[in-house]
Amino acid sequence: MTTTLAGGRAARRQTMRRIRPRRSPATVLLLAVFAGAVGVLWLWWHNTPSIADQNGKILNAGRITGLLAGYLMALVVLQMARVPALERRVGSDRVARWHAMSGRYTLCLIVAHIFLTMWGYALQAGKSLGDIVQQTIDSINQLPDMGKAAIGTGLFVLIGLTSIGPVRRRIPYDTWYHVHLLTYAAVFLTFWHQITTGNDFAVEPTAKTFWYALYGSVTALVIWYRILTPIRLNMRHRMRVEAVIEETPGIVSVLIGGRKLHRMGAEAGQFFRWRFLAPGMRFSSHPYSLSAAPRPDMLRITVKAIGDHSARLRELTPGTKVWAEGPYGAMTAQRRSRGKVLLVAGGVGITPMRALFETLPGASGDITLLYRANTTQDLALWDELAAIADDRGARLMYAVNSPDGERPDISADRLRQKLPDIEQHDVFMCGPAGFAQGVYEALRGAGVPARRIHHESFEM
Amino acid sequence: MKKSHPIRRVVLATAATVSGVVLLLSLKPASDPGAQAAGATPQQTAAAQESPQGGASAAGSANGTIDGAVAQTQYGNVQVRLTVANGKITKADAIQAPKGGTSDQKTALSIPKLTQETVAAQSAKIDSVSGATYTSNGYKQSLQSAIDKMKASAGTSQGSGSSQGSASPSQGSGGGSGSGTGSGSAQAKTVTGSVAQTQYGPVQVRITVSNGKITKADAVQAPKGGLSDQKTAMAVPKLNQEAVAAGSAKIDSVSGATYTSSGYKQSLQSALDQAGG
Repeated sequence: MTTTLAGGRAARRQTMRRIRPRRSPATVLLLAVFAGAVGVLWLWWHNTPSIADQNGKILNAGRITGLLAGYLMALVVLQMARVPALERRVGSDRVARWHAMSGRYTLCLIVAHIFLTMWGYALQAGKSLGDIVQQTIDSINQLPDMGKAAIGTGLFVLIGLTSIGPVRRRIPYDTWYHVHLLTYAAVFLTFWHQITTGNDFAVEPTAKTFWYALYGSVTALVIWYRILTPIRLNMRHRMRVEAVIEETPGIVSVLIGGRKLHRMGAEAGQFFRWRFLAPGMRFSSHPYSLSAAPRPDMLRITVKAIGDHSARLRELTPGTKVWAEGPYGAMTAQRRSRGKVLLVAGGVGITPMRALFETLPGASGDITLLYRANTTQDLALWDELAAIADDRGARLMYAVNSPDGERPDISADRLRQKLPDIEQHDVFMCGPAGFAQGVYEALRGAGVPARRIHHESFEM
Repeated sequence: MKKSHPIRRVVLATAATVSGVVLLLSLKPASDPGAQAAGATPQQTAAAQESPQGGASAAGSANGTIDGAVAQTQYGNVQVRLTVANGKITKADAIQAPKGGTSDQKTALSIPKLTQETVAAQSAKIDSVSGATYTSNGYKQSLQSAIDKMKASAGTSQGSGSSQGSASPSQGSGGGSGSGTGSGSAQAKTVTGSVAQTQYGPVQVRITVSNGKITKADAVQAPKGGLSDQKTAMAVPKLNQEAVAAGSAKIDSVSGATYTSSGYKQSLQSALDQAGG
């Protein structure tokens, strides 16, 4: 008895040595973004000796909102440049939420900038607020690069409209995505009027240089990580569909073969954006998590048929070429800070959890998986999970609805009852938003600190 | 996975942005303390410092160029450079003027007028250009400081030189290209107004004046190309006629050619100013 205990402790110490928690750089990055915004405001402050009257106030409010919008627009694009530090350290889901938030905010700033500037110009020309439309038309005609800027703004508004919740749910994903790609054109078109008519760039050559550097480096990052890196990855690994396996009704696994796949550096818990070069599928890519630890010759994804794209995966034939971008995602072993880990999966959210369940280092009894599904038939990959649990002495629990459709009880008390030392665990969680929210609250109620609950959600 | 509160977030972001902008705007003074300080202690530029030594030369009291102090306006800095010969301003330039936004236009519109006026008036008592009040005021401020410097340097060398400054006031041949066709001032003379920049191109008016009356008016420059050819063909003859009939720049704009008309009137006014002075 004592020996087993000692052995357990030694093994645990062994695992602890392999745990090197890496903190997300999110806080540092957010501080840097704020510092940049302060710098932009300083530029305005420095170049504005005084504001004489109401008209000057309106014009300067227009300048401030314009400068901030120009600054944030570069960052909004940067957030989608697939920079590894953002995708793998901060987490793709979090960065996507930042992108959505800052995108909306920037669009509001652009609208405020146009309104205030045109109002100010109208007053300056001795007209009133009512002439703002005429003033806008005049400015587009007279000022350099304003025609381009007007087209770019129109595109931004279009992109914003297609991203509003109800609209986005009603249009196909591909349409939304391709409209969103117009952002690059819009950013290019609106860039030039900032340089040619922007007061601060006209009088301050240093500011102009800085602005070129900001937009230039974002462009370089986009070209490098969104175009060149995927080309290199796919040239090197040449992936193809090996087999398609039906796991449970509605859930399929796709096996993907290729060359030296371990060289991609993918970890359990991460995902790729997949594009299957089959008719009707080649124009859109979708993020699917690896459902098994990557092998040198084989990757596996497991997908539930919920959309057009995922339903078509079932019809993929072996040999279909695959174009992948990745690996992305930060919900990996790096996030772990404790010896004990609880994995919580809701439905098809099992995929990254399955990979982590297999690979997270841990002694017997350290790893626990809680799997929630509607019925026992929906417990995809159950046999594999049971085998892994047996093999490494991990605990496997499931929670399904009772035969009369009643939901299982996942509460703080119930969790503590099942895992008395739950507050000592790191928790990794993947599942639908409502489920994740409920479990999160139960976990917090059971005493798990928020910093040890690791969750990935692609719902905005 | 903290609960998200979209509405609270929107309200917070709006409130923070609006209050931040309002705070920044209200912290800016209404008139610039830096500009007044600069105006009170005129900057001695290299050009201005040359002149005290120039006092050794006998006749020329203050030759060369003099830069006025930088006047800061809401839209940017204005700085005037005067070229002086024999104590008279022969040329005025703005070496700094507001840029960016509508300022480019306003600078293009107002600076040529102001420099012309300067040479004509030989003082800082010049009219502001309407529509470019801030630039005009900054210009006058900088001009005044340049003139102060000019006088100061002239004063140091007054002992040896003759007081050129008081001789021959404005001659009417200021910045524009006025040329008398006759020898006497009562004779007919042709005066060309300053170039007025419009959105569609420059407009410049030439008038023939005899006995203080306009006998002939025509446009030596008018918008060209595209629709402008038509508009010019339509508007300019009418405007020429009106100018002769009215004998002043108070003429009606030709409807459908508003920009050309107002440019025409501007240039006409400057021609009349020259002819009168």
